[in-house]
Amino acid sequence: MTTQHKTNSASWKNKFREKLIEIIGKDGVIHSEDELLAYDCDALTGYRIKPIFVVLPTNAKQISEVIRECYNENIPFVPRGAGTGLSGGALPTDEGIVISLSKMNKILDVDIPNQRVVVEPGVVNLWVTNAVSPYGYYYAPDPSSQIVCTIGGNVAENSGGVHCLKYGVTTNHVLGVEMVMPDGEIIEIGGKALDYPGYDLTGLVVGSEGLLGIVTKVTLKIIKKPEAVKTLFASYDNVEDAGASVSGITARGVIPAGMEIMDSFCIKSVEETIGAGYPIDAGAILLVELDGPLAEVEAQLPIVEEVLKENNAIQIKIAKNAKERDLLWKGRKSAFPAMGRISSDYYVQDGVIPRSKLAEVLGEIGELSKKYGLRVANVFHAGDGNLHPLVLYDASKKGDLDKTLELAGEILKVCVDKGGSITGEHGVGHDKKRFLSLMFSDNDLDAMNLIRCAFDNKGLCNPGKLFPTPRTCVEPGMKKFEEHPVQKAGMGEMY
Amino acid sequence: MIKKSVTKKLKSIVGEKNTILEKEELEAFSIDNVLPEIVLSPDNIEQVSEIMKLASKESLSVIPWGSGTKSDLGNKPDRVDIVISTNNLNRIIEHEASDLVATTQSGISLSSLQKELNKENQFLALDPPHINKDATIGGIIATNDSGPERLRYGTAREFLIGIKVVKADGSIFKGGSKVVKNVAGYDLPKLYVGSLGTLGIIVEATFRLYPVPEYSETYVASFSSLENCHKTILTLLNSNLVLTSLELLNPGLATLISKRNNLDINDSEYCLAIGIKNVEKAVKDQIFAAKKISEQNGGNGLLISGSQEEKLWEDVRNFPWDLVKAESVVCKVGILVTQIPAVLNMVKQLSDENGVEIFVSTRAGNGICIIAIRGEGSSITNALNDMRDFISTFGGSLVIQEASTEIKEQFDIWGDIGSGLGIMKRIKSNFDPDNILNPGRYI
Repeated sequence: MTTQHKTNSASWKNKFREKLIEIIGKDGVIHSEDELLAYDCDALTGYRIKPIFVVLPTNAKQISEVIRECYNENIPFVPRGAGTGLSGGALPTDEGIVISLSKMNKILDVDIPNQRVVVEPGVVNLWVTNAVSPYGYYYAPDPSSQIVCTIGGNVAENSGGVHCLKYGVTTNHVLGVEMVMPDGEIIEIGGKALDYPGYDLTGLVVGSEGLLGIVTKVTLKIIKKPEAVKTLFASYDNVEDAGASVSGITARGVIPAGMEIMDSFCIKSVEETIGAGYPIDAGAILLVELDGPLAEVEAQLPIVEEVLKENNAIQIKIAKNAKERDLLWKGRKSAFPAMGRISSDYYVQDGVIPRSKLAEVLGEIGELSKKYGLRVANVFHAGDGNLHPLVLYDASKKGDLDKTLELAGEILKVCVDKGGSITGEHGVGHDKKRFLSLMFSDNDLDAMNLIRCAFDNKGLCNPGKLFPTPRTCVEPGMKKFEEHPVQKAGMGEMY
Repeated sequence: MIKKSVTKKLKSIVGEKNTILEKEELEAFSIDNVLPEIVLSPDNIEQVSEIMKLASKESLSVIPWGSGTKSDLGNKPDRVDIVISTNNLNRIIEHEASDLVATTQSGISLSSLQKELNKENQFLALDPPHINKDATIGGIIATNDSGPERLRYGTAREFLIGIKVVKADGSIFKGGSKVVKNVAGYDLPKLYVGSLGTLGIIVEATFRLYPVPEYSETYVASFSSLENCHKTILTLLNSNLVLTSLELLNPGLATLISKRNNLDINDSEYCLAIGIKNVEKAVKDQIFAAKKISEQNGGNGLLISGSQEEKLWEDVRNFPWDLVKAESVVCKVGILVTQIPAVLNMVKQLSDENGVEIFVSTRAGNGICIIAIRGEGSSITNALNDMRDFISTFGGSLVIQEASTEIKEQFDIWGDIGSGLGIMKRIKSNFDPDNILNPGRYI
């Protein structure tokens, strides 16, 4: 039962635009149809919705005022960083506006002795490491889009990367945020110190996919670069052996900084594209990166080598220097783009399984691939069981995309059946909301909804995402929610 | 007062043997001198749910209870009708050693859990106080308790990956998952870390585990100047050494701990304990480097290992509970690492001026100070007020961990919770609309 068909009225739109301009200025409000097109999707390009306006605020106060207007007029709003998200988290809402944080891109405080950096949400992930690397520090979460993706987006999605096996994901590195609540109130939670009294709202906001408010300032923890780094490379006849190596390594008490697997499809396309020196006929390759104090790394190296051999590694190589190491990683990092060489289109899936089930699940994915007659290339953060199967298809072939999405969904079911998750780092967003109930019961989702309603009782902040079906907010004290007759009759739904 | 008929129903949920109604036995569950009317120890989650349904219907207040080691944390309760003890929820549900993950019921003690995990050479990276008094997993999560090794591993929030909770209305839900990487849905486990039983009864928890480090040594250095000691801390933290713990003891506490552990530290000296756990060679190399840094700053050091080392860390972990008894207030202060000298100097000045004895153990790499104040009634509250004023000027926090009921009535336990308080209250009221869980004690 969306009420805002007023957004179709030119006079209402003009008036609303004037209000926005009053708050942000002319440069900060995008309204021309052409320019709005640039904001109609994020990196999940299969879905597109044009927003009514896009605003580009420069500070929290402006956001607060914009949101108050939205709140009063019941206009939904969607926060947006660099738009690199793969789950449609920044997909605009029908009849809603987009709040782009791209102009809020200042690093506000670099505090080396306390190992903290405070940034605005539009700051690019890699800028943080660049700002602190002269002092020997870095910001650990390193999603593969780190040269463009923003910290605000990382906070929303709780982004990971290739080194999070040992160092954790975004939530383990965010200590506090300033945010504008969905009613316009500006609050500060957490901060540079630890153990502030009160609930861990920071922990709740990180990974909330932009549904709880708009983060306007983020306090990050930085860490010291390790004394030593060693990267190992191993090739295998088949991907199962590579998978078994991964759980073998952690079973021996070694936690590498990262472990990555690529299967033969990926290897071939990467070799043809950039020539990372991978054996082109291998069934799978595994990269293992150890870091830490030199003596620790040196003690772990022979253990890892032993495990690789036990699991039938054909060739084992240890990068001798930074140049060799970079080349090995370059292959991994260009896996997605290189896929374009073997297939005109591909869909990136993101699922998680317990590490020990790797070999088993890879087998099942192989079976599914045969069943659907679609090729699936596997590249993944094997250390934490985070799979990224790439389903290759041809968009020009009728029905291919539908088949692809069906297969990708089957893969998620396999992940959940093995005790895993439907997403390890890309988020639920728009793309995966229908799968959330594979993992969570109605009770579980109700508990999540209580959180959303505490933050956003009108459901205006990035609505239509994450939850499988729209859920209403019940006023505290009202024990049971009674459906409106219109809803009961199935004639409308509430937001 | 619980109605007789309701008491009977409650009793029938868990059975006679799991019900306590006798006054003498209820004494053990008193909170700030308030006795519950009934203590129930459910055998399973369904029973917890049944109790909550009834409590919610009858608007009876409920306090979840692990082993009661931190029952002093929080304001004096508004009312206490029912205590739900998790004593019988003490099963390990699953330990997947190859995944480094374990799921357990919440009433198990950390020490029993560790014993099981240790069989596979793994452990849960939590070293809070009261392990020797059977502190439970549920209690540690609810109070967000931690110890010196948080420097290396962090606190419960970093490795609690899944949780199961019985809500105030008796409904059961779970959050998170059993895999270490997961972003599906809101991160509800984090909300429950430090929620002090106000948002539901934690009945199960899933954790990421770590391999037990092979070897351990600790270098204990003493400094006559706080400034030099702090310089050592900053240099260590700015190095690429991977320390497991870094604890700074003020002179009062250093003297006390030195005597108990034969550390030979002179009165009036600050003491820095640098703990490193790793493979043996990595420990030895890094301890050597740490020693050098300490000596360059005038530290006078001693290397300890084995049982002497274990005993020292046990004392630090359990400070102040096993060390400083009688008439003391315990508080936790959160500041930045660079602000440590200012706080310790203020503490010294306060003890000189107010005639109180103050013992401080500082997690020097985290900016967390555990402070015990010993003295007469009003001198303690004066000292507390001065401390909080001082700490709030640079954005830190001070929370009372333990104090007499009188002091609790005179001094704000939690301090200013800040602009997030409104949303915290809304979350509380959404999860517990009748305010029956731990009412009045926290949010």
